[in-house]
Amino acid sequence: MVERLGIPTASIIGSGFLKQAEVITKGLGVPLAMGVYPGAPMVDSEEVLRRKVEETLAPGLLMGLTGEAPHAADAASEPEPGDVVLNGTFDEVQEYFYRHLWTDGLPVVPPTHERVDAFLRFTDRKSDEVLRILPQEGREASILSIATTGVMSGCRPEYMPVLIAIIDAMCDPIYRVEDSGSTPGWEPVVIINGPIIKELDFNFGQGMMRVGRQANSSIGRFVRMYLRNICGFRIAPGAGDKGSIGQSFLVAMAEDEDTAREIGWPTFAQDRGFAAGENVVTVHSVVSITSPMYSAGDQAVQHVQQWAEIMGQSFTYWAHTGFKTGLWNPLIVAGPSVAGVIAREWSKDEVRRYLYQHVKVTAERATHYARMTSTPTFSFEHLVKEGILPPEYTASTDPERLVNVFIKPEMIGILVAGDPGRNQSRAYMGNHIQGPPTSRRIALPRDWKRLIERRG
Amino acid sequence: MPSTNSREPRFEVMWPLSRKAVQRTAATPRLPDLNDKTVCELWDVIFRGETIYPLVREYIRARFPRVKFVNYTEFGNFHGAREHQVTATIPEKLRAHKADAVIVGIGA
Repeated sequence: MVERLGIPTASIIGSGFLKQAEVITKGLGVPLAMGVYPGAPMVDSEEVLRRKVEETLAPGLLMGLTGEAPHAADAASEPEPGDVVLNGTFDEVQEYFYRHLWTDGLPVVPPTHERVDAFLRFTDRKSDEVLRILPQEGREASILSIATTGVMSGCRPEYMPVLIAIIDAMCDPIYRVEDSGSTPGWEPVVIINGPIIKELDFNFGQGMMRVGRQANSSIGRFVRMYLRNICGFRIAPGAGDKGSIGQSFLVAMAEDEDTAREIGWPTFAQDRGFAAGENVVTVHSVVSITSPMYSAGDQAVQHVQQWAEIMGQSFTYWAHTGFKTGLWNPLIVAGPSVAGVIAREWSKDEVRRYLYQHVKVTAERATHYARMTSTPTFSFEHLVKEGILPPEYTASTDPERLVNVFIKPEMIGILVAGDPGRNQSRAYMGNHIQGPPTSRRIALPRDWKRLIERRG
Repeated sequence: MPSTNSREPRFEVMWPLSRKAVQRTAATPRLPDLNDKTVCELWDVIFRGETIYPLVREYIRARFPRVKFVNYTEFGNFHGAREHQVTATIPEKLRAHKADAVIVGIGA
């Protein structure tokens, strides 16, 4: 950005991030001058750090500002959207796509014109319509690219309206798709609400987060494939995805809306401002998942107390990232039988309030975790002064004071789904401002009913 | 392993990516002499920048004694909670400080 202002700029880059820097630079179309820090600064002694700065980083920065201006790499020539790139057998297609880093390592459905056209029939939008130019390779999020990726991921053509809504949500700047390759290795999960759950046969009951049901599985795979192919988040031998360990795609979630209605709770989509009966997708980052949360008893507090304890154990360590950014969103998948017990006494807001009040961490531990991760200068006082955290976080200066792990009750999402025959729930944690829950209404084509009837 | 069975069906497959829409910008000419020039610092408040930036300043000052640095605290954290707001203010602040060059970090 600064180079575009006409000011010579040099960037500090860790050596492990050079390939990512190269991808981003190409996507922005701006040449990058840099000084390189060899290795990881967070594990070096003061002495080693000084040596690396003096011997490598600072000379590189100085050269970047005073030496020859950097040149952008020439853009490689590429096919045009819709071009046929191969005529081959199934195996030849797999080999060709794998060698070009266009798959997730599993076989893909060959994206022929016929198959892609079948997807395009399930939208009223034109195939060359572009939703946004997406980071980090600067590619068009076109309707055609959504259909092609849907084919390859094993989706059915009738999923197309859902796929478009997903990418539209991920295009929202609030969602920050550009951070999809950050080192914590978070993964998006798609949440489905509305009558389309049953129309497209999503699993919202027992085994809802397992592969096995085509809608859940292929849509989860689609999201990861789109991030890889269109956004450019590829692990080695590609580049751009810096998830240090990472995780693999999550199958799409759907809500057990029948149970939610029976127990008198609003659905997840209603909580997010949509009307009952609207078809909605929400995309939500997941950086961490609790162990299964079993809870027993016929009183609400027995279950929610158990949730607070288990979520506290699982999520407290990562809370500092939420504190630094003022936002993070836990999502509870409440088992139907458990939700039924709680709903007899408590509203969802009362559940949120309880969790907000009872999950705590000491200021000293949160500060320690932040310093271990990336931020030696972490300070509650500074975050409160900046208005990022509310004043209660500095109510005293005692490092052993307890602060709320969840910053605001309304940041906690609750969805009813899972096995009605067991007393199990689970919670998923978002990665602070990276991939916060972002929703879109699913726009069905004008002749949806006819198209759905014709699919057989 | 590719199959050699000639009776297998064949597939005409489409390019699975989408068009790149990148506006390329040439780099600004560099400054051979940083004496009497202003170098502004932008920091995302991670990865030990509080230690690294002073060492970088020291190194550059040893070679260009009359260089002026504007500390990263003048610009705010361009990554995180206030990213969009902070980023939007940076061009104006750089103009106000009469920035001749900028150091940005830390991507690690």
